[in-house]
Amino acid sequence: MLHAVKLHARSALACLGAAALCALALPAAAGTLDTVKQRGTLQCGVSEGLYGFSEQNAQGQWSGFDVDFCRAVAGAIFDDPAKVTFVPLSASNRFEALRSGKVDLLSRNTTWTLEREAGLGLAFAGINFHDGQGFMVMRSLNKDSALDLDGAKVCVEAGTTTQANLADFFRANSMKYEEFAFPRSSETLAAFQNGQCNVLTRDQSALYAERLRLPKPGDAIILPDVISKEPLGPVTRADDFPWFNVVRWVNFALINGEELGVTQANTAEAAASGKPDVRRFSGAEGGLGKMLGLDDAFALRAVKASGNYAEIYERNLGVRSRLGIPRGLNQLWSMGGVLYAPPLR
Amino acid sequence: MRMRDLTRAVLAASCLSLSLAAVTWVPASAQGSAKGSEETMDVGDEPGRVSGDDVHAEGPYAKQMVLFRSSEAPGTVVIHTSERFLYIVQGNGKALRYGIGVGREGFQWSGKVQVSRKSEWPDWRPPPEMIARQPYLPRFMAGGPGNPMGARALYLGSTVFRVHGTNQPETIGQAISSGCFRLANGDIIDLYERVPVGTKVIIRHSASL
Repeated sequence: MLHAVKLHARSALACLGAAALCALALPAAAGTLDTVKQRGTLQCGVSEGLYGFSEQNAQGQWSGFDVDFCRAVAGAIFDDPAKVTFVPLSASNRFEALRSGKVDLLSRNTTWTLEREAGLGLAFAGINFHDGQGFMVMRSLNKDSALDLDGAKVCVEAGTTTQANLADFFRANSMKYEEFAFPRSSETLAAFQNGQCNVLTRDQSALYAERLRLPKPGDAIILPDVISKEPLGPVTRADDFPWFNVVRWVNFALINGEELGVTQANTAEAAASGKPDVRRFSGAEGGLGKMLGLDDAFALRAVKASGNYAEIYERNLGVRSRLGIPRGLNQLWSMGGVLYAPPLR
Repeated sequence: MRMRDLTRAVLAASCLSLSLAAVTWVPASAQGSAKGSEETMDVGDEPGRVSGDDVHAEGPYAKQMVLFRSSEAPGTVVIHTSERFLYIVQGNGKALRYGIGVGREGFQWSGKVQVSRKSEWPDWRPPPEMIARQPYLPRFMAGGPGNPMGARALYLGSTVFRVHGTNQPETIGQAISSGCFRLANGDIIDLYERVPVGTKVIIRHSASL
Protein backbone atom coordinates (compact mmCIF):
# COMPACT_ATOMS: atom_id res chain seq x y z
CA MET A 1 0.00 0.00 0.00
CA LEU A 2 2.81 2.39 0.89
CA HIS A 3 4.31 1.71 -2.50
CA ALA A 4 1.05 2.61 -4.21
CA VAL A 5 0.78 5.88 -2.31
CA LYS A 6 4.30 6.85 -3.33
CA LEU A 7 3.58 6.14 -6.96
CA HIS A 8 0.46 8.24 -6.90
CA ALA A 9 2.34 11.10 -5.28
CA ARG A 10 4.92 10.90 -8.03
CA SER A 11 2.38 10.99 -10.84
CA ALA A 12 0.64 13.91 -9.16
CA LEU A 13 3.93 15.81 -9.19
CA ALA A 14 4.44 14.91 -12.81
CA CYS A 15 0.98 16.29 -13.55
CA LEU A 16 1.95 19.67 -12.11
CA GLY A 17 5.03 19.68 -14.29
CA ALA A 18 3.79 18.64 -17.70
CA ALA A 19 0.34 18.44 -19.17
CA ALA A 20 1.39 15.67 -21.53
CA LEU A 21 2.32 13.35 -18.68
CA CYS A 22 -1.00 14.13 -17.02
CA ALA A 23 -2.80 12.61 -19.97
CA LEU A 24 -0.67 9.49 -19.68
CA ALA A 25 -1.57 9.12 -16.05
CA LEU A 26 -5.29 9.40 -16.68
CA PRO A 27 -6.14 5.76 -17.44
CA ALA A 28 -4.55 4.81 -14.15
CA ALA A 29 -6.42 7.47 -12.25
CA ALA A 30 -9.68 5.75 -13.19
CA GLY A 31 -8.13 2.43 -12.14
CA THR A 32 -7.45 -0.05 -14.93
CA LEU A 33 -9.35 -2.85 -13.20
CA ASP A 34 -12.50 -0.72 -12.98
CA THR A 35 -12.07 0.41 -16.56
CA VAL A 36 -11.74 -3.18 -17.72
CA LYS A 37 -14.78 -4.27 -15.70
CA GLN A 38 -16.90 -1.41 -17.05
CA ARG A 39 -15.76 -2.00 -20.62
CA GLY A 40 -16.54 -5.68 -20.22
CA THR A 41 -13.41 -6.80 -22.07
CA LEU A 42 -9.67 -6.87 -21.49
CA GLN A 43 -7.55 -5.10 -24.12
CA CYS A 44 -4.50 -7.27 -24.41
CA GLY A 45 -1.46 -6.40 -26.54
CA VAL A 46 0.09 -9.40 -28.29
CA SER A 47 2.62 -10.06 -31.02
CA GLU A 48 1.48 -9.73 -34.62
CA GLY A 49 2.46 -13.34 -35.18
CA LEU A 50 5.02 -15.56 -33.50
CA TYR A 51 5.00 -19.36 -33.59
CA GLY A 52 3.72 -20.74 -30.31
CA PHE A 53 3.37 -17.36 -28.61
CA SER A 54 0.67 -15.57 -30.56
CA GLU A 55 -0.90 -16.58 -33.84
CA GLN A 56 -4.20 -15.81 -35.54
CA ASN A 57 -5.81 -18.46 -37.72
CA ALA A 58 -7.87 -17.95 -40.88
CA GLN A 59 -11.04 -17.67 -38.79
CA GLY A 60 -9.48 -14.84 -36.82
CA GLN A 61 -9.03 -16.90 -33.63
CA TRP A 62 -5.94 -16.24 -31.58
CA SER A 63 -3.83 -18.91 -29.96
CA GLY A 64 -0.47 -19.13 -28.25
CA PHE A 65 1.33 -18.90 -24.94
CA ASP A 66 0.98 -15.10 -24.65
CA VAL A 67 -2.63 -15.29 -25.84
CA ASP A 68 -3.49 -17.86 -23.18
CA PHE A 69 -2.09 -15.55 -20.52
CA CYS A 70 -4.49 -12.80 -21.66
CA ARG A 71 -7.34 -15.30 -21.46
CA ALA A 72 -6.31 -16.32 -17.96
CA VAL A 73 -6.48 -12.69 -16.81
CA ALA A 74 -9.90 -12.31 -18.45
CA GLY A 75 -10.95 -15.55 -16.76
CA ALA A 76 -9.83 -14.24 -13.37
CA ILE A 77 -11.83 -11.02 -13.84
CA PHE A 78 -14.94 -12.14 -15.74
CA ASP A 79 -14.93 -15.93 -15.40
CA ASP A 80 -15.05 -15.81 -19.20
CA PRO A 81 -11.89 -16.29 -21.27
CA ALA A 82 -13.64 -14.89 -24.36
CA LYS A 83 -13.77 -11.38 -22.91
CA VAL A 84 -10.48 -10.32 -24.44
CA THR A 85 -9.86 -7.97 -27.33
CA PHE A 86 -6.49 -8.87 -28.82
CA VAL A 87 -4.48 -5.94 -30.10
CA PRO A 88 -1.60 -7.02 -32.33
CA LEU A 89 1.42 -4.81 -31.75
CA SER A 90 4.82 -4.50 -33.40
CA ALA A 91 8.05 -4.40 -31.42
CA SER A 92 8.32 -0.66 -32.02
CA ASN A 93 4.79 0.44 -31.05
CA ARG A 94 4.13 -1.94 -28.15
CA PHE A 95 5.26 0.29 -25.30
CA GLU A 96 3.48 3.39 -26.54
CA ALA A 97 0.27 1.37 -26.91
CA LEU A 98 0.54 0.37 -23.25
CA ARG A 99 1.52 3.83 -21.99
CA SER A 100 -1.32 5.55 -23.83
CA GLY A 101 -3.91 3.13 -22.44
CA LYS A 102 -4.70 1.56 -25.82
CA VAL A 103 -4.05 -1.78 -24.11
CA ASP A 104 -4.45 -2.69 -20.44
CA LEU A 105 -1.76 -5.30 -20.55
CA LEU A 106 1.13 -6.26 -22.79
CA SER A 107 1.57 -10.01 -23.19
CA ARG A 108 4.03 -10.02 -26.04
CA ASN A 109 7.33 -11.89 -25.59
CA THR A 110 8.90 -8.81 -24.04
CA THR A 111 12.20 -8.96 -22.15
CA TRP A 112 12.26 -7.49 -18.65
CA THR A 113 15.02 -4.90 -18.39
CA LEU A 114 15.81 -2.01 -16.07
CA GLU A 115 15.48 0.53 -18.86
CA ARG A 116 11.94 -0.54 -19.70
CA GLU A 117 10.78 -0.17 -16.11
CA ALA A 118 12.68 2.88 -14.89
CA GLY A 119 12.96 4.61 -18.26
CA LEU A 120 9.52 3.96 -19.75
CA GLY A 121 7.40 3.87 -16.60
CA LEU A 122 6.35 0.27 -17.05
CA ALA A 123 6.20 -2.61 -14.61
CA PHE A 124 6.82 -6.28 -15.39
CA ALA A 125 4.32 -8.36 -13.47
CA GLY A 126 6.63 -11.38 -13.42
CA ILE A 127 8.41 -13.81 -15.68
CA ASN A 128 6.39 -16.43 -17.50
CA PHE A 129 9.05 -17.57 -19.97
CA HIS A 130 12.77 -17.70 -19.27
CA ASP A 131 14.29 -17.40 -22.70
CA GLY A 132 17.98 -17.05 -23.48
CA GLN A 133 20.44 -17.38 -26.28
CA GLY A 134 21.31 -20.88 -27.38
CA PHE A 135 22.82 -22.89 -30.20
CA MET A 136 21.36 -25.13 -32.91
CA VAL A 137 23.74 -27.65 -34.48
CA MET A 138 23.39 -30.41 -37.02
CA ARG A 139 22.82 -33.73 -35.25
CA SER A 140 25.59 -35.27 -37.38
CA LEU A 141 28.08 -33.01 -35.61
CA ASN A 142 27.53 -35.18 -32.52
CA LYS A 143 27.85 -32.38 -29.95
CA ASP A 144 25.82 -32.12 -26.78
CA SER A 145 27.36 -29.09 -25.13
CA ALA A 146 28.14 -25.53 -26.21
CA LEU A 147 31.56 -25.99 -24.62
CA ASP A 148 32.39 -28.51 -27.37
CA LEU A 149 32.02 -25.89 -30.09
CA ASP A 150 35.67 -24.81 -30.32
CA GLY A 151 36.50 -24.09 -33.96
CA ALA A 152 32.85 -24.03 -35.08
CA LYS A 153 31.48 -22.01 -37.98
CA VAL A 154 28.68 -19.94 -36.46
CA CYS A 155 25.83 -18.19 -38.29
CA VAL A 156 24.37 -15.15 -36.54
CA GLU A 157 22.21 -12.15 -37.31
CA ALA A 158 24.38 -9.07 -37.73
CA GLY A 159 24.16 -6.06 -35.45
CA THR A 160 22.22 -7.80 -32.68
CA THR A 161 22.96 -8.37 -29.01
CA THR A 162 23.03 -12.02 -30.07
CA GLN A 163 26.21 -11.34 -32.02
CA ALA A 164 27.79 -9.62 -29.01
CA ASN A 165 26.80 -12.44 -26.64
CA LEU A 166 28.30 -14.95 -29.05
CA ALA A 167 31.66 -13.14 -29.01
CA ASP A 168 31.59 -12.90 -25.20
CA PHE A 169 30.77 -16.58 -24.73
CA PHE A 170 33.57 -17.88 -26.94
CA ARG A 171 36.08 -15.43 -25.49
CA ALA A 172 35.13 -16.24 -21.93
CA ASN A 173 35.65 -19.94 -22.63
CA SER A 174 38.89 -19.51 -24.61
CA MET A 175 37.34 -21.01 -27.73
CA LYS A 176 37.74 -19.96 -31.36
CA TYR A 177 34.98 -19.68 -33.95
CA GLU A 178 34.46 -18.44 -37.46
CA GLU A 179 31.57 -15.99 -37.73
CA PHE A 180 29.11 -15.74 -40.63
CA ALA A 181 26.88 -12.71 -40.04
CA PHE A 182 23.79 -11.87 -42.10
CA PRO A 183 21.44 -8.89 -41.97
CA ARG A 184 18.26 -11.02 -41.88
CA SER A 185 17.16 -14.07 -39.96
CA SER A 186 16.01 -15.80 -43.17
CA GLU A 187 19.49 -15.47 -44.69
CA THR A 188 21.07 -16.69 -41.48
CA LEU A 189 18.92 -19.81 -41.52
CA ALA A 190 19.60 -20.39 -45.23
CA ALA A 191 23.36 -20.30 -44.59
CA PHE A 192 22.95 -22.88 -41.83
CA GLN A 193 20.76 -24.99 -44.09
CA ASN A 194 23.23 -25.02 -46.99
CA GLY A 195 26.15 -25.87 -44.72
CA GLN A 196 28.01 -22.56 -44.86
CA CYS A 197 28.07 -22.79 -41.08
CA ASN A 198 27.40 -25.73 -38.75
CA VAL A 199 26.04 -23.76 -35.80
CA LEU A 200 23.22 -21.21 -35.63
CA THR A 201 22.78 -18.97 -32.59
CA ARG A 202 19.59 -17.11 -31.54
CA ASP A 203 17.26 -17.05 -28.57
CA GLN A 204 16.17 -20.60 -27.76
CA SER A 205 12.47 -20.08 -28.46
CA ALA A 206 13.37 -18.68 -31.90
CA LEU A 207 15.72 -21.60 -32.59
CA TYR A 208 12.90 -24.10 -32.04
CA ALA A 209 10.70 -22.11 -34.42
CA GLU A 210 13.48 -21.82 -37.02
CA ARG A 211 14.15 -25.54 -36.82
CA LEU A 212 10.61 -26.20 -38.07
CA ARG A 213 11.51 -24.35 -41.28
CA LEU A 214 14.29 -26.79 -42.09
CA PRO A 215 13.43 -29.46 -44.69
CA LYS A 216 14.28 -32.10 -42.07
CA PRO A 217 13.88 -30.57 -38.60
CA GLY A 218 15.05 -33.82 -37.01
CA ASP A 219 18.53 -33.35 -38.49
CA ALA A 220 19.22 -30.42 -36.17
CA ILE A 221 19.30 -30.31 -32.39
CA ILE A 222 19.28 -27.42 -29.97
CA LEU A 223 21.93 -27.63 -27.28
CA PRO A 224 20.76 -27.31 -23.67
CA ASP A 225 23.13 -24.43 -22.90
CA VAL A 226 21.67 -20.96 -22.36
CA ILE A 227 24.25 -18.15 -22.55
CA SER A 228 22.16 -15.03 -21.92
CA LYS A 229 19.13 -13.97 -19.90
CA GLU A 230 15.94 -13.04 -21.76
CA PRO A 231 13.20 -13.13 -19.12
CA LEU A 232 9.84 -12.59 -20.82
CA GLY A 233 6.70 -11.57 -19.00
CA PRO A 234 3.49 -9.56 -18.94
CA VAL A 235 3.80 -5.78 -18.60
CA THR A 236 1.54 -3.09 -17.12
CA ARG A 237 1.87 0.64 -16.55
CA ALA A 238 3.86 1.44 -13.43
CA ASP A 239 1.35 3.96 -12.09
CA ASP A 240 -1.46 1.52 -11.32
CA PHE A 241 -0.25 -0.76 -8.60
CA PRO A 242 -3.61 -2.48 -7.89
CA TRP A 243 -3.88 -3.51 -11.56
CA PHE A 244 -0.23 -4.57 -11.64
CA ASN A 245 -1.04 -6.77 -8.66
CA VAL A 246 -3.98 -8.41 -10.42
CA VAL A 247 -1.79 -9.35 -13.38
CA ARG A 248 1.06 -10.44 -11.15
CA TRP A 249 -1.11 -12.74 -9.05
CA VAL A 250 -2.75 -14.30 -12.06
CA ASN A 251 0.76 -15.22 -13.24
CA PHE A 252 1.55 -16.64 -9.79
CA ALA A 253 -1.79 -18.46 -9.74
CA LEU A 254 -1.01 -20.33 -12.95
CA ILE A 255 2.33 -21.51 -11.56
CA ASN A 256 0.85 -22.40 -8.17
CA GLY A 257 -1.94 -24.20 -10.01
CA GLU A 258 0.60 -26.53 -11.57
CA GLU A 259 2.34 -27.04 -8.25
CA LEU A 260 -0.96 -27.92 -6.52
CA GLY A 261 -2.17 -30.17 -9.34
CA VAL A 262 -5.12 -27.94 -10.25
CA THR A 263 -5.86 -28.42 -13.95
CA GLN A 264 -8.43 -27.16 -16.42
CA ALA A 265 -10.13 -30.55 -16.19
CA ASN A 266 -10.38 -30.75 -12.40
CA THR A 267 -11.41 -27.25 -11.29
CA ALA A 268 -14.73 -28.61 -9.99
CA GLU A 269 -12.89 -31.22 -7.91
CA ALA A 270 -10.47 -28.55 -6.70
CA ALA A 271 -13.34 -26.43 -5.44
CA ALA A 272 -14.38 -29.36 -3.26
CA SER A 273 -10.88 -30.30 -2.10
CA GLY A 274 -10.09 -30.59 1.58
CA LYS A 275 -6.44 -29.56 1.25
CA PRO A 276 -5.91 -26.12 2.85
CA ASP A 277 -3.72 -24.73 0.05
CA VAL A 278 -6.14 -25.95 -2.61
CA ARG A 279 -9.05 -24.44 -0.66
CA ARG A 280 -7.32 -21.05 -0.61
CA PHE A 281 -6.58 -21.42 -4.31
CA SER A 282 -10.20 -22.16 -5.13
CA GLY A 283 -11.47 -19.33 -2.94
CA ALA A 284 -13.28 -21.65 -0.57
CA GLU A 285 -11.37 -19.95 2.24
CA GLY A 286 -8.96 -17.08 2.78
CA GLY A 287 -10.90 -14.34 0.98
CA LEU A 288 -7.82 -13.58 -1.14
CA GLY A 289 -9.48 -12.56 -4.40
CA LYS A 290 -11.43 -9.73 -2.74
CA MET A 291 -8.16 -8.10 -1.69
CA LEU A 292 -7.29 -7.81 -5.36
CA GLY A 293 -10.73 -6.51 -6.30
CA LEU A 294 -11.67 -9.85 -7.83
CA ASP A 295 -13.83 -12.81 -6.97
CA ASP A 296 -12.29 -15.10 -4.36
CA ALA A 297 -12.19 -17.84 -7.00
CA PHE A 298 -9.99 -15.75 -9.30
CA ALA A 299 -7.10 -18.25 -9.33
CA LEU A 300 -9.36 -21.18 -10.09
CA ARG A 301 -11.10 -19.13 -12.81
CA ALA A 302 -7.75 -18.31 -14.40
CA VAL A 303 -6.90 -22.02 -14.59
CA LYS A 304 -10.40 -22.79 -15.84
CA ALA A 305 -9.86 -20.28 -18.64
CA SER A 306 -6.44 -21.39 -19.89
CA GLY A 307 -5.20 -24.29 -17.81
CA ASN A 308 -2.36 -24.12 -15.30
CA TYR A 309 1.17 -23.11 -16.31
CA ALA A 310 2.15 -26.59 -17.47
CA GLU A 311 -0.99 -26.95 -19.56
CA ILE A 312 -0.43 -23.58 -21.24
CA TYR A 313 3.22 -24.44 -21.84
CA GLU A 314 2.59 -27.91 -23.23
CA ARG A 315 -0.27 -26.80 -25.45
CA ASN A 316 1.73 -24.07 -27.15
CA LEU A 317 5.44 -24.75 -26.73
CA GLY A 318 5.98 -28.13 -25.14
CA VAL A 319 6.73 -31.62 -26.34
CA ARG A 320 3.22 -32.20 -27.64
CA SER A 321 3.23 -28.97 -29.66
CA ARG A 322 4.96 -28.36 -32.99
CA LEU A 323 7.78 -26.48 -31.29
CA GLY A 324 8.76 -29.15 -28.78
CA ILE A 325 10.71 -26.87 -26.43
CA PRO A 326 11.85 -28.75 -23.30
CA ARG A 327 10.66 -27.12 -20.08
CA GLY A 328 14.27 -26.41 -19.06
CA LEU A 329 14.39 -23.27 -16.89
CA ASN A 330 10.61 -22.97 -17.29
CA GLN A 331 10.01 -25.97 -15.09
CA LEU A 332 8.90 -25.65 -11.46
CA TRP A 333 11.70 -24.92 -9.01
CA SER A 334 11.02 -28.33 -7.45
CA MET A 335 11.35 -30.14 -10.78
CA GLY A 336 14.62 -28.85 -12.22
CA GLY A 337 13.66 -25.33 -13.31
CA VAL A 338 13.41 -21.86 -11.76
CA LEU A 339 9.66 -21.17 -11.70
CA TYR A 340 8.85 -20.12 -8.16
CA ALA A 341 5.65 -18.37 -7.18
CA PRO A 342 4.91 -16.97 -3.72
CA PRO A 343 2.05 -18.74 -1.95
CA LEU A 344 -1.58 -17.70 -2.24
CA ARG A 345 -2.39 -17.02 1.36
CA MET B 1 3.64 -47.62 2.61
CA ARG B 2 0.13 -49.03 2.49
CA MET B 3 0.13 -48.53 -1.25
CA ARG B 4 3.36 -50.39 -1.72
CA ASP B 5 2.26 -53.43 0.19
CA LEU B 6 -1.07 -53.46 -1.56
CA THR B 7 0.46 -53.19 -4.97
CA ARG B 8 2.99 -55.85 -4.22
CA ALA B 9 0.19 -58.19 -3.32
CA VAL B 10 -1.73 -57.39 -6.46
CA LEU B 11 1.14 -57.55 -8.84
CA ALA B 12 2.98 -60.55 -7.48
CA ALA B 13 6.13 -61.09 -9.47
CA SER B 14 5.70 -58.68 -12.32
CA CYS B 15 5.11 -55.00 -12.76
CA LEU B 16 3.50 -55.46 -16.13
CA SER B 17 -0.25 -55.12 -16.53
CA LEU B 18 -2.69 -54.87 -13.72
CA SER B 19 -6.25 -55.99 -14.22
CA LEU B 20 -8.91 -53.31 -14.47
CA ALA B 21 -10.76 -54.89 -11.55
CA ALA B 22 -7.68 -54.53 -9.39
CA VAL B 23 -7.65 -50.79 -10.00
CA THR B 24 -10.66 -50.40 -7.75
CA TRP B 25 -8.43 -51.49 -4.88
CA VAL B 26 -6.30 -48.43 -5.31
CA PRO B 27 -6.95 -45.77 -2.65
CA ALA B 28 -8.51 -42.61 -4.07
CA SER B 29 -5.49 -40.52 -3.19
CA ALA B 30 -3.14 -42.68 -5.18
CA GLN B 31 -5.52 -42.96 -8.08
CA GLY B 32 -5.84 -39.21 -8.25
CA SER B 33 -2.26 -38.84 -9.38
CA ALA B 34 -2.95 -40.95 -12.43
CA LYS B 35 -5.96 -38.86 -13.34
CA GLY B 36 -6.24 -35.22 -14.27
CA SER B 37 -5.36 -34.64 -17.87
CA GLU B 38 -3.91 -38.12 -18.28
CA GLU B 39 -5.48 -40.17 -21.00
CA THR B 40 -4.73 -43.80 -20.52
CA MET B 41 -4.35 -45.90 -23.64
CA ASP B 42 -5.81 -49.32 -23.03
CA VAL B 43 -3.12 -51.26 -24.82
CA GLY B 44 -3.01 -54.97 -24.25
CA ASP B 45 0.34 -56.70 -24.04
CA GLU B 46 1.54 -58.40 -27.16
CA PRO B 47 3.78 -61.29 -26.14
CA GLY B 48 5.55 -62.73 -29.14
CA ARG B 49 5.62 -59.47 -31.04
CA VAL B 50 9.23 -58.96 -31.99
CA SER B 51 10.71 -55.51 -31.91
CA GLY B 52 14.34 -54.72 -32.59
CA ASP B 53 16.73 -52.36 -30.86
CA ASP B 54 14.50 -49.40 -31.61
CA VAL B 55 15.49 -46.04 -30.25
CA HIS B 56 13.44 -42.90 -30.33
CA ALA B 57 15.69 -41.06 -32.77
CA GLU B 58 13.51 -38.07 -33.53
CA GLY B 59 11.01 -35.84 -31.85
CA PRO B 60 10.54 -34.82 -28.24
CA TYR B 61 10.91 -38.32 -26.84
CA ALA B 62 14.32 -38.85 -28.42
CA LYS B 63 17.20 -39.16 -25.98
CA GLN B 64 18.72 -35.71 -25.57
CA MET B 65 20.79 -33.53 -23.29
CA VAL B 66 18.59 -30.90 -21.63
CA LEU B 67 18.92 -28.14 -19.09
CA PHE B 68 18.01 -29.59 -15.68
CA ARG B 69 18.87 -27.98 -12.38
CA SER B 70 19.24 -30.45 -9.58
CA SER B 71 20.92 -30.76 -6.23
CA GLU B 72 21.14 -34.51 -6.76
CA ALA B 73 24.54 -36.02 -7.48
CA PRO B 74 25.50 -36.71 -11.09
CA GLY B 75 24.36 -40.18 -12.07
CA THR B 76 21.10 -39.97 -10.13
CA VAL B 77 18.03 -41.05 -12.08
CA VAL B 78 14.93 -38.83 -11.82
CA ILE B 79 11.60 -39.94 -13.30
CA HIS B 80 8.82 -37.40 -13.90
CA THR B 81 5.77 -39.50 -14.58
CA SER B 82 3.44 -36.71 -15.71
CA GLU B 83 6.00 -35.47 -18.24
CA ARG B 84 6.89 -39.03 -19.42
CA PHE B 85 10.59 -38.38 -19.05
CA LEU B 86 13.45 -40.10 -17.27
CA TYR B 87 16.53 -38.02 -16.52
CA ILE B 88 20.08 -38.99 -15.65
CA VAL B 89 21.56 -36.03 -13.79
CA GLN B 90 24.87 -34.97 -15.37
CA GLY B 91 25.80 -32.14 -13.05
CA ASN B 92 26.56 -28.72 -14.49
CA GLY B 93 22.83 -27.97 -14.76
CA LYS B 94 22.19 -30.65 -17.34
CA ALA B 95 20.64 -34.07 -17.64
CA LEU B 96 20.34 -36.76 -20.26
CA ARG B 97 16.62 -37.18 -20.94
CA TYR B 98 14.77 -40.24 -22.28
CA GLY B 99 11.13 -40.52 -23.31
CA ILE B 100 9.20 -43.16 -21.36
CA GLY B 101 5.79 -44.75 -21.31
CA VAL B 102 4.11 -44.85 -17.90
CA GLY B 103 1.62 -47.53 -16.93
CA ARG B 104 -0.98 -47.39 -14.19
CA GLU B 105 1.46 -48.98 -11.79
CA GLY B 106 4.04 -46.31 -12.56
CA PHE B 107 1.61 -43.61 -11.43
CA GLN B 108 0.87 -45.32 -8.13
CA TRP B 109 3.98 -44.60 -6.25
CA SER B 110 6.59 -41.92 -5.79
CA GLY B 111 9.68 -41.86 -3.69
CA LYS B 112 13.36 -42.67 -3.57
CA VAL B 113 14.90 -46.08 -4.12
CA GLN B 114 18.09 -47.65 -5.38
CA VAL B 115 18.59 -49.87 -8.39
CA SER B 116 18.79 -53.23 -6.64
CA ARG B 117 19.39 -55.51 -9.59
CA LYS B 118 19.79 -55.40 -13.34
CA SER B 119 18.80 -58.00 -15.86
CA GLU B 120 19.32 -58.55 -19.57
CA TRP B 121 16.33 -59.92 -21.51
CA PRO B 122 14.33 -60.55 -18.31
CA ASP B 123 11.83 -63.39 -18.01
CA TRP B 124 8.17 -62.59 -17.46
CA ARG B 125 5.60 -64.19 -15.19
CA PRO B 126 2.25 -62.45 -15.61
CA PRO B 127 0.40 -62.39 -12.27
CA PRO B 128 -2.99 -64.19 -12.02
CA GLU B 129 -4.94 -60.91 -12.21
CA MET B 130 -3.44 -60.19 -15.59
CA ILE B 131 -4.15 -63.64 -16.87
CA ALA B 132 -7.75 -63.24 -15.78
CA ARG B 133 -8.01 -60.12 -17.90
CA GLN B 134 -5.89 -61.27 -20.81
CA PRO B 135 -6.38 -65.05 -20.84
CA TYR B 136 -4.21 -65.45 -23.91
CA LEU B 137 -1.10 -64.49 -21.94
CA PRO B 138 1.44 -67.21 -21.23
CA ARG B 139 2.08 -68.29 -17.60
CA PHE B 140 5.77 -67.88 -18.13
CA MET B 141 7.75 -66.33 -20.92
CA ALA B 142 11.51 -66.59 -21.21
CA GLY B 143 13.36 -63.35 -21.93
CA GLY B 144 13.85 -62.46 -25.57
CA PRO B 145 12.86 -60.12 -28.38
CA GLY B 146 9.14 -61.01 -28.22
CA ASN B 147 8.93 -60.49 -24.46
CA PRO B 148 6.89 -57.44 -23.30
CA MET B 149 9.59 -56.74 -20.68
CA GLY B 150 11.95 -55.84 -23.51
CA ALA B 151 15.70 -55.98 -23.67
CA ARG B 152 16.71 -54.88 -20.17
CA ALA B 153 15.23 -54.25 -16.74
CA LEU B 154 16.38 -52.22 -13.77
CA TYR B 155 14.75 -53.41 -10.52
CA LEU B 156 13.89 -50.68 -8.04
CA GLY B 157 14.71 -51.46 -4.42
CA SER B 158 12.58 -54.22 -2.96
CA THR B 159 9.48 -53.00 -4.78
CA VAL B 160 7.82 -54.60 -7.77
CA PHE B 161 8.55 -51.46 -9.75
CA ARG B 162 11.08 -51.49 -12.51
CA VAL B 163 12.35 -49.60 -15.49
CA HIS B 164 12.21 -51.90 -18.46
CA GLY B 165 12.18 -52.13 -22.24
CA THR B 166 9.21 -52.89 -24.44
CA ASN B 167 8.22 -54.70 -27.57
CA GLN B 168 5.69 -51.87 -28.19
CA PRO B 169 7.92 -48.83 -28.84
CA GLU B 170 4.95 -46.75 -30.05
CA THR B 171 3.71 -46.54 -26.45
CA ILE B 172 6.60 -44.24 -25.47
CA GLY B 173 5.24 -40.85 -24.39
CA GLN B 174 1.87 -42.34 -23.45
CA ALA B 175 0.04 -43.20 -20.29
CA ILE B 176 -0.67 -46.85 -20.91
CA SER B 177 -2.73 -49.47 -19.23
CA SER B 178 0.17 -51.60 -18.09
CA GLY B 179 3.77 -51.47 -17.00
CA CYS B 180 5.86 -49.25 -14.80
CA PHE B 181 8.32 -47.19 -16.75
CA ARG B 182 9.11 -48.47 -20.21
CA LEU B 183 11.67 -47.28 -22.73
CA ALA B 184 12.23 -48.31 -26.34
CA ASN B 185 14.61 -51.27 -26.37
CA GLY B 186 17.50 -49.33 -27.89
CA ASP B 187 17.09 -46.67 -25.21
CA ILE B 188 16.87 -49.10 -22.27
CA ILE B 189 20.06 -50.78 -23.53
CA ASP B 190 21.76 -47.37 -23.55
CA LEU B 191 20.39 -46.55 -20.09
CA TYR B 192 21.42 -49.96 -18.74
CA GLU B 193 25.05 -49.26 -19.59
CA ARG B 194 24.97 -45.90 -17.80
CA VAL B 195 23.18 -46.88 -14.59
CA PRO B 196 24.97 -49.23 -12.17
CA VAL B 197 23.36 -51.19 -9.33
CA GLY B 198 23.08 -48.89 -6.32
CA THR B 199 22.07 -45.82 -8.34
CA LYS B 200 19.59 -43.57 -6.56
CA VAL B 201 16.25 -43.30 -8.37
CA ILE B 202 13.73 -40.55 -7.59
CA ILE B 203 10.19 -40.86 -8.90
CA ARG B 204 7.98 -37.77 -8.95
CA HIS B 205 4.34 -37.27 -9.85
CA SER B 206 2.57 -34.04 -10.34
CA ALA B 207 0.55 -33.09 -7.29
CA SER B 208 -2.96 -34.40 -6.74
CA LEU B 209 -5.89 -32.62 -5.19
